[in-house]
Amino acid sequence: MLARSSLRSSRAFAAAKSPAVRTATRNASSQSSQSAAASWKNTALLSSTTLLAAGSVSWYYYQFGRPTQAMTLAEEGLHPPKFPWEHTKLTRTFDHQALRRGFHVYREVCAACHSISRIPYRKFVGSLMTVDEAKAMAEEQEYDTDPNDEGEIEKRPGKLSDYMLPPYQNDEAARAANNGALPPDLSLIVKARHGGCDYVFALLTGYPEEPPAGAVVQSGLNFNPYFPGTGIGMPKQLFDGLVDYEDGTPATASQMAKDVVEFLNWTAEPEADERKKMGWKVMAITTVLFGLSVWVKRYKWATIKTRKLSYTPPHAPAKQPGSSFRRFQQHGYEQKP
Amino acid sequence: MSGLLNTIYTAFVRRNAVFLTTIFVGAFATEMVFDSGSNLIWDSINRGRQWKDIKHKYMSNGGGGDDEGDDDDDE
Amino acid sequence: MSLPSKATTSLLRHAGRQQLPALRSSAALVQKRNRADSPFDASTSHAEFTSPFHRGTRNEQDTTVIPNWGKYRSSSSETGNKLFQYFMVGSFGGLTALGAKNTVQDFLVNMSASADVLAQAKVEVDLSQIPEGKNVIIKWRGKPVFVRHRTADEIKEAEDEDWKKLRDPQPDEDRVKKPEWLVMLGVCTHLGCVPIGEAGDYGGWFCPCHGSHYDISGRVRKGPAPLNLEIPEYDFPEDGLMVIG
Repeated sequence: MLARSSLRSSRAFAAAKSPAVRTATRNASSQSSQSAAASWKNTALLSSTTLLAAGSVSWYYYQFGRPTQAMTLAEEGLHPPKFPWEHTKLTRTFDHQALRRGFHVYREVCAACHSISRIPYRKFVGSLMTVDEAKAMAEEQEYDTDPNDEGEIEKRPGKLSDYMLPPYQNDEAARAANNGALPPDLSLIVKARHGGCDYVFALLTGYPEEPPAGAVVQSGLNFNPYFPGTGIGMPKQLFDGLVDYEDGTPATASQMAKDVVEFLNWTAEPEADERKKMGWKVMAITTVLFGLSVWVKRYKWATIKTRKLSYTPPHAPAKQPGSSFRRFQQHGYEQKP
Repeated sequence: MSGLLNTIYTAFVRRNAVFLTTIFVGAFATEMVFDSGSNLIWDSINRGRQWKDIKHKYMSNGGGGDDEGDDDDDE
Repeated sequence: MSLPSKATTSLLRHAGRQQLPALRSSAALVQKRNRADSPFDASTSHAEFTSPFHRGTRNEQDTTVIPNWGKYRSSSSETGNKLFQYFMVGSFGGLTALGAKNTVQDFLVNMSASADVLAQAKVEVDLSQIPEGKNVIIKWRGKPVFVRHRTADEIKEAEDEDWKKLRDPQPDEDRVKKPEWLVMLGVCTHLGCVPIGEAGDYGGWFCPCHGSHYDISGRVRKGPAPLNLEIPEYDFPEDGLMVIG
């Protein structure tokens, strides 16, 4: 009885712990058929417990763990495909020539309705434009001055430190001019939309010739499968040859969309170039530091880990051959009845 | 060989103050070399993409003031 | 003694105690077979162990003998090894210092003026718009800046003054870059009011709050103000243009 209980405990707690145990159980179980029956029961018990655990977990997931979809696919919008963006690669900067083209597209097409009011003119200097170009662009706009001595606010030409002016005075004016739809500010749009660059590109180029059969398009809206709800206030904007690029790139609709998306990614993350470079530097230094730290750890521990302790018990050894350690153990066993 | 090692050892490691100075001077030297080296690699990977590669197209005649502005914003 | 072997022996001991004496020998046999089978058994694994301190006859052991560690000894020279170790430890410390320095530096740079503040920190002034003998007040970093186009008489008056006897002694040439252009922060050094131009007993500025008088070089001459009007950073990059900041 005790043999069986000890067998069971050694099975349950130290299953497959060392060959010594396994030999012991094999030898012991061969002696009595009771043990064999117990091991079958053990297997059944373990299996049913496992089944119960797995079953309750899957039941719980079925009840509470599944994602719930509040909207249909049409309401979520079509998921944009992955485009092979060059500028989002970890080792690549923005193509600043493309940024220039993208800003050109923004100014000629998007700026009629959309603002990028988080971008000051000085940001263009040193990444898209020379100082003179940026200054000239800033001076085209008029800004309010501080109140003068009579308390009146005058107009002054823009400076590099000014932020880009929005096309509308306020949101209400924007809605009134756009059939009730508010054109969002585009400064952070790539970060603010699920799908980022892919979404914006797919949206800009994804207008079908006409809505598919069965699609309901409200009056004043346009059909775009990538826009959540498919009804978008903005009609198709980009057509082949809409702008004349200064560098002679053919202005196809997809080229313009690609350039403007890269530009909008730059407005959202103007620090991306520097950030990626810094990231690589940090990773290089940290890798070397990690290797060195491993070496130093081994160096410091080497003397401690390679110590050898030898102990010889002080009492007189028995007559058997072999080391004192073994003799001591055997001696201990034989003393016990 | 061992004479050279001995010379290096006595010159840089033997005295703790000298050793520490060597470490910190070496750290600054490493930083400069590492920075310029990694910038070189980065620029060669991204050749033709950065503003400094294309700005010569837009820098017409009067270049003095432009350079000043670029230095301010590159940082 | 390791746990599994302990379990084995206790198991066998229990089994042996319970069963008939005849079975006892078989149990002992099992125990023996166990030992032979498993190389991991604690009682056999030390069988080949010989103490490095073991010397002399079996009953008299000499514990003072230092064993021979020769096979652990490095084959390269001692200086070379030491240099390598110091190099590794030193470059570890150096790189760590580098990282720490850059981290601290980034935090400190965070505290300095941000790009939008720096962009507004410079004000350009078109000097051709300011006729001789006139004051202009310009806002710079939220403070007024006085720009005075001084006449030849005023320059002479400012330079001829015996400045060593003033409260805040300062010669006129220290306060201007070009003598005809006097540029000062328009904040009274007493309690921060904005002084009035072309007023006061000395033909310069007068602070209406507590009656401090400044001369045509902006030096305090009378009243509670302790210091002369402050001079900001400014420069003349080209003719007819001044940049403050």
